[in-house]
Amino acid sequence: MSRPGYALRRAGAAILAVSVALPAQGALAASDPWRGDLTPIAAEDWNYDRAAHLLERAGFGGTPEEIRRFAAMTPDRAVRRLVNYESVDNGHLPAFDHSGVHDPGLVDFPPSRPATTRLARETGEALGVRVKPQGNRPLQPVVNKFFYWLRASMLETRRIAYWWGGRMLNTRRPLEEKMTLFWHGHFATIESKVRDYRKMLLQNETLRAHATGNFGDLVVAVAQDPAMLYFLDAGVNVKGAPNENFAREIMELFTMGVGNYSERDIREAARAFTGWNADDLTFVVHADQHDEGAKTVLGETGNFDGAEVVDIILRQPVTARYVTEKIYRYVVREDTRDAPLDALAAVLREANYELKPLLRTIFLSRDFYSRASVGTHIKSPVQLAISTYRKLGLTEMPGIPDFNEATTALGQTLFWPPTVAGWARGRAWVTPGLLLERGNFARDLLFTDIDFHAHDRFAPDPTIRDVHMRVKEGADITSATMPVQDGAGGMMAESNMMADRDEDFNTRFGSYRGWQMAIQRVKAIPRIAAQVDLAAMVRAEGLETAAEAVDYFLARFMSAPVGAAERTMMVDFLAAELGTADLAAAESYLEEPLRMLLHLVMSQPEYQLG
Amino acid sequence: MNARFLDERGLSRRDILRAGLGAGALGALGAGSVFARAGRAAAAAGGDKILVVFEMSGGNDGLNTVVPYGDDAYYRQRPTIGLKPDGLIPLDDRFAFNPGLIGLEEMYRDGDIAIVHGAGYDNPSFSHFTSMAYWHTAAPNSGAEYGWVGRLADAMKPGGASNYVVNIDATQSLAVRSRDHVPVVFDDPARFRREGFFQEQPLFRHVAEAGGSDNPSRRYLLDIARSALDASALVREAWAAYSTPVDYGLVPLDLPKVAALIAADLPTRLYYTAFRNNAFDTHVHQNNLHRRLLTYAADAIAGFFADMERIGRADDVTMMVFSEFGRRVPENTSLGTDHGAAGPMFLIGKPVRGGHYGEPPSLTELDAGDNLIHTVDFRRVYATAIEGWLGFDGANDILGGNFPPLPVFG
Repeated sequence: MSRPGYALRRAGAAILAVSVALPAQGALAASDPWRGDLTPIAAEDWNYDRAAHLLERAGFGGTPEEIRRFAAMTPDRAVRRLVNYESVDNGHLPAFDHSGVHDPGLVDFPPSRPATTRLARETGEALGVRVKPQGNRPLQPVVNKFFYWLRASMLETRRIAYWWGGRMLNTRRPLEEKMTLFWHGHFATIESKVRDYRKMLLQNETLRAHATGNFGDLVVAVAQDPAMLYFLDAGVNVKGAPNENFAREIMELFTMGVGNYSERDIREAARAFTGWNADDLTFVVHADQHDEGAKTVLGETGNFDGAEVVDIILRQPVTARYVTEKIYRYVVREDTRDAPLDALAAVLREANYELKPLLRTIFLSRDFYSRASVGTHIKSPVQLAISTYRKLGLTEMPGIPDFNEATTALGQTLFWPPTVAGWARGRAWVTPGLLLERGNFARDLLFTDIDFHAHDRFAPDPTIRDVHMRVKEGADITSATMPVQDGAGGMMAESNMMADRDEDFNTRFGSYRGWQMAIQRVKAIPRIAAQVDLAAMVRAEGLETAAEAVDYFLARFMSAPVGAAERTMMVDFLAAELGTADLAAAESYLEEPLRMLLHLVMSQPEYQLG
Repeated sequence: MNARFLDERGLSRRDILRAGLGAGALGALGAGSVFARAGRAAAAAGGDKILVVFEMSGGNDGLNTVVPYGDDAYYRQRPTIGLKPDGLIPLDDRFAFNPGLIGLEEMYRDGDIAIVHGAGYDNPSFSHFTSMAYWHTAAPNSGAEYGWVGRLADAMKPGGASNYVVNIDATQSLAVRSRDHVPVVFDDPARFRREGFFQEQPLFRHVAEAGGSDNPSRRYLLDIARSALDASALVREAWAAYSTPVDYGLVPLDLPKVAALIAADLPTRLYYTAFRNNAFDTHVHQNNLHRRLLTYAADAIAGFFADMERIGRADDVTMMVFSEFGRRVPENTSLGTDHGAAGPMFLIGKPVRGGHYGEPPSLTELDAGDNLIHTVDFRRVYATAIEGWLGFDGANDILGGNFPPLPVFG
């Protein structure tokens, strides 16, 4: 046989065989001798399935062609190709295309609407907009601009997420994007507090520049990153009045983990970071706000600044261990029993916190290819979406379904991690509700919603759309923004009665105008549905029967086997939908039944594993 | 799947509309059937008592929630952000509610709110995640595998049962992690369904046997798939059948969903839900924000109990409200407050004997870090809910210590 699909199908058959012949429980340890073993995998142990595993974990999964290319290399060369990516040309990836929504008046954006109107009252101007000298609602233009920027920054950040998703999809350096995503969760920063897409983009570029570089450099870069400085209230951390938020998160979440420092260490470290701030997009140190006194941090005393505190933190062995474990859980497995974490942490420490030796050691190790590691990782929503696109052979991010809304429904929104601790990982990615959503995501991809609304054009808030209708009909602002009575005699809650009292401006009208101005200026996300051709895929592989099609899909899309009974059900399902088990006979109407089959495959609990 | 946007609190506008404005339109259609259901429910449940745990994540500033306005020390510690007596809702001559809690004033006056002062634990952690994990497991410094609600379910219903524990959130809380039960975790009930063609349905109703797999992640996913299968239709139907004239406020949180499941007579005894995403982490410019957050929470809670009254279940439901810590007693220099220690807890509902419990912590005798020293171990409040409310003896086994209940019930 010389058909192109042969090698792949054989791999698929091997996967299926595993699911049928399971070892007895007691034999598990003996059946997984590579678990915990850092010995590099030998060339003779290298094969298609292991190359697929490497591409899954060091990137976002591979197409059969990519996997075959890596399987043809030695393991050492395959890993180097992924880890030492600096020489790989990525010039085909476009730079982010700004809509041009920012202007100088928006620099130093106040922390809240009340702070904005207070500033306007006190100075006659805010956000670059003057207060009207007389007349009704003199502050309204200021309030409009306040809401405009909230919406515009949010919508533009969603475009950044699309742009980044496109990089994950099309990069020739998958590990670079994979680790950028890791650091985004590690140094979690949330747009809804930062409220400036430019800072979010800058941070994303910083994380990418250091993605597999030196961890110490990365921590310092993040500590000087304008989005992070703003996010952790560094601007109010000044001499004589240290704010601990920043120092606490650096120790607890970024470097050491809880329990390895004292509250005093945090307070002292906060003093070292006093005066660190950002002037719009530039890191600055305000010398007059910096505490020049001696500090004692983790047993060392001196007139430290922030970078020196980072150095002290890096000298703690627990830091290398903490970072190593977190990376290990991300690329290898959540279950760290028998994981060689101390040895790996030593690799990181001995390399002076250079990350490449650690990543190389992990990806070459037998432990990485052990049964405990392969096909046991629950994919994050972003990993699920991008790897699905990649395995489908897409080269363009689908506009329908919306990437951000799809991953949000599954529990992950790029640039909106839920808290400073980033996203909960592992099993937390899947609940009963979310498991169903994952299957629904696949359905949306394969059977496009015909009532899709693009929320970068269509304000999702019905009260805003209602205001829009009434304004168009000529209503005055008070009437247009009055909350709709529910008409059922229910008592109104206090918060609804408070909504519209101020006379200087109308908040709800400002919110409405903010949407309108943002939609006018922010560029649209292209809304092309996923371009999938499963019939062509099956034809190209020369598949002949329903069973071959099922085995091909399972092998192409799944990292962990389904049960034999489930496979049989799928074969029967496809044959019933085709009206025959013979693909050639059904040639002219293959696509829809194949899409239903793929929806079933992607709805399997096992599809969540990578 | 219909696309939706979540706002910064993780709520879709649809959730909000549904519980507030939008529900009215459906009221005339649905109310009769809900009343009918409620009557059946009360009979069928045989007086089964329900506990709803409501988490205020982020570290709620207890001192600006139940304000000790009669104590000069409060104003000395908080010269700028201390809430002036004008505008507060006085409870007595010592304490007052933050004005944001006006939605709860009537319930307090009716004796339906127990305030437990000074709830905390020894050697408090000032980390959100660590302290929240302590509250979730009821086992500070232990790294316990299961949550206290999960252990309670295991004790009350050994071996597990479908739909006994419901956790409405985007991700599962550690509090409900259980040995025997798979908690029903969902966010949007209308979306708690598998979408697919008629012909696909038999395959969706089939979940593989997990027992033989040597892949623990696969076994876990198969358990989840089975729970989803058991619960999704029930939850969806409950939500579809539910409508209410009650206004839950601008941000109803997930409480209308809890009400819908109770109205539909699910066998759930333990509900867990949260004001999510560290909302109460008010380091900077806190007063406006904090008041608004409290307004949302109070309106949603008051709405929930009005709804329980409406469906005839007010005698069957108690809510426990907590946050992972309070804030530092002195204000910080950014018009906000930093992570602190003890704070007030609330037990709310008709069965509650309202009023003050626990010794209010001193505002002058603080720990070395200027934090309140707790006066009531938070597990005593858990024990109060377990024994005093649910009537289940054995709180000490579940909580791993001796935690006498407070006399809040009966």
